[in-house]
Amino acid sequence: MMTTITKSISLFAMLVFLSGCWDQVELEGRAYVVGLGMDKIDDETNQIRITFLISNPEFGSLAEGGGGDEPPQEIISFVANDMESAKDVANMVVAKQVTYDLLRVLFISEEFAKDPEFIRWMYDLTKSKEIRRDIRLVVSKEKASTFIQNINPLLESRPHEYFEKIFERLNATGIAPTSDLLKFFRITESDADLFLSIYGTSLQKNNSGSVQNPLNITAGEFQYEGMTSPIQFAGAAVFKEGKMIGTITTRETRLAYLLNPTLPIKDILTAYPDPFSEDHKLAIRVEKQGKVKTKMDLKKEVPSIDVSLPLAVEVLSNHSMVDYPKEAEKREQLKKHLDDEITKVFEDFIKKTQEEYGTEPFGWSLEARKHFRTLPEFEKFDWMKTYPNMDINVDISIRFSNFGRQGEVPKLEELRD
Amino acid sequence: MQQSQEKIGIREYIAIITIMIATKVTDDTPILFFDTLDTAGWIAPFFNALIVVIPLIFLMKVVTRYNKGLIEIIDGLFGKYLGFLLLFIIWFISISALIIDTAIYTDIIGTMYFIRTPTIIIYGLIMAVCAYGAKRGFAQIGSAAWVVYPYLQVSLLFVFILTLSDSNLSFIHPIFGPGPIEIVKESTFTLSIYADFLYLFLIVPFIKDIHVFKKGTWAGFIIVIINVGIAFLLFLLLFDYQSLKMVNYPFHEVIRYIDTGFLTNMESFFLPFWAIASFIRFTVYIWINALLFGHLFKIKQFEYVIPSIATLIVFIGILPESPTYAIFELRKTLFQFTTPIFFFLPILIWIVAKLKGDFSNDDNNN
Repeated sequence: MMTTITKSISLFAMLVFLSGCWDQVELEGRAYVVGLGMDKIDDETNQIRITFLISNPEFGSLAEGGGGDEPPQEIISFVANDMESAKDVANMVVAKQVTYDLLRVLFISEEFAKDPEFIRWMYDLTKSKEIRRDIRLVVSKEKASTFIQNINPLLESRPHEYFEKIFERLNATGIAPTSDLLKFFRITESDADLFLSIYGTSLQKNNSGSVQNPLNITAGEFQYEGMTSPIQFAGAAVFKEGKMIGTITTRETRLAYLLNPTLPIKDILTAYPDPFSEDHKLAIRVEKQGKVKTKMDLKKEVPSIDVSLPLAVEVLSNHSMVDYPKEAEKREQLKKHLDDEITKVFEDFIKKTQEEYGTEPFGWSLEARKHFRTLPEFEKFDWMKTYPNMDINVDISIRFSNFGRQGEVPKLEELRD
Repeated sequence: MQQSQEKIGIREYIAIITIMIATKVTDDTPILFFDTLDTAGWIAPFFNALIVVIPLIFLMKVVTRYNKGLIEIIDGLFGKYLGFLLLFIIWFISISALIIDTAIYTDIIGTMYFIRTPTIIIYGLIMAVCAYGAKRGFAQIGSAAWVVYPYLQVSLLFVFILTLSDSNLSFIHPIFGPGPIEIVKESTFTLSIYADFLYLFLIVPFIKDIHVFKKGTWAGFIIVIINVGIAFLLFLLLFDYQSLKMVNYPFHEVIRYIDTGFLTNMESFFLPFWAIASFIRFTVYIWINALLFGHLFKIKQFEYVIPSIATLIVFIGILPESPTYAIFELRKTLFQFTTPIFFFLPILIWIVAKLKGDFSNDDNNN
């Protein structure tokens, strides 16, 4: 038994050797890039503008020592041939060895994402030894370098912490999609579905007077004031075949969440017109009840998809002051109204995907694969070609869970009597 | 041949089998399968297992009949010259596989973890550890394997569970990939994922008794199939077939992707387990190789050859340029070359034994 122990110990001792003298770098000696920006340069196809968002590991740690006054981040933006050689180029300014080990977010300007050459640079990411596939992809409306320079969260001053938190919230609310590199490559390579990426901006669009529904906007359209971060994320950038082709609003992103069996979402808070009062909106909490059922008939001449989506709806506001608890009829009316409204919204969006994009972000091609026994059959079917002409029906069944914490509201006429 | 060491029991034997063969899922073996079989790549390990049972049964029959290792049986059945030739072929395949596999593992460490460390240092260290382990003798390899096996299995299980939470079951469709006929055709080329079972029959004299060997081999066989099958399936469910085909080393890509919510960069946690599994794997290989070498060239104290073999491996293994591709091709060729030998040799041995009348009722034989 002694020999076993000595053997195990010697094996572990060898591991110490493996940690290596060549690859050993002190934490202090490295500049950790947590955000990487990529921009197109006008009239230049073989170079891009790279922006590094370098996090300061000493900032905010308990063992601050002398580094207390250092800022939380450092930003450098320059023209480079590719992101690998940029690491060395940056050393002309940055004092430490640049590494992508802790890279969390990749920022791409909309302009660059729409460029057909864009995909070439994306594949550099699969080459790099330090980049893993769980990093997030963010498309910025303006130049990525401008966007990164404007990142200045007030309360979560360490940038990687800020990203982690805000992306978690964006995904939980369905306002922006989950978009990691693994998905980007998977969807691009399978060449059937649309990939949705987080869409953000640091520039607020000038208010043109009309107040928009904040639940149906894209980044930049959300009007807010105050002392907070200038960055906003809303909606999604749509990628087809590795190239950005458009944006969708927050509402559409949420619809994609609800229809896509691969995207997890618990519940969303949203608002719909009130059937009993034209001036008011009804706040509701929509929850996916069980699984989306996608029935496909692909052997027909015009293939059809029937989606049935069971939703649990909680009505959270009642500005029209209707007495729902007592009037079952009104509840039925409301149910029918919501059913119609939501179905219409779904149908509009699906129509948009068919006509404008030619394919969908709902992961339906995966669903369709179940109907084929072999790959050649599926490839012959050609999802992208057939999808625009498909006959798609959405069937929504609503179940009211409850009407808020307190069901009753006073009768307005009596109150104002 | 030196056989004075103590023999190993069933626990150690099963641990050795599993570590030796199931570790293959962590290199580029899965790509060999998915390259041609697409979404059906995960079926092949199960399908192969069904075919592989045939040569295994034949070999098992022969070995239990004689109650001897395959080396002695081949010598006895085929005589001096033909026997030497056959064993030499087996040895040659074994050393080629060893060189190719160690080169791949060195490449994995070099490209995925220790980027700046010179290849020769990584390679040299791996082989030094393995040679040292192998030199200590089979009984010690066995107990080392048994000591670490539960940890390795648990860490692999942990990877499986974490991968499962990110996987998507729809990726296994279309279930037959390129078509049922293609599956049958292509999987016969990849039989040699289980070819290492052939080597196990060489070490019969070092197992406690023939019943332990029989039980252990089948138990190990089942554990290996389950591990390999599940791993292949999960790779597919995480990456989808198109992306999976493009990845070099899926296991390492997986452990870089998964996280446990608050803990990211999990690969540094799994790396040591994988490293230990690889060490033990090559230790066994190099020991078996030395055993064969010792028998072929009449070296009684064959364990003294181990350091020289290890050195040879390092110097040959370091030769190929851009190893990820070059070795992948070599490996593919070796895979296709080994498969027929692995399948027909056991049947040939059985037929010769049958013709010699050794399966008749007498209880004594050559």
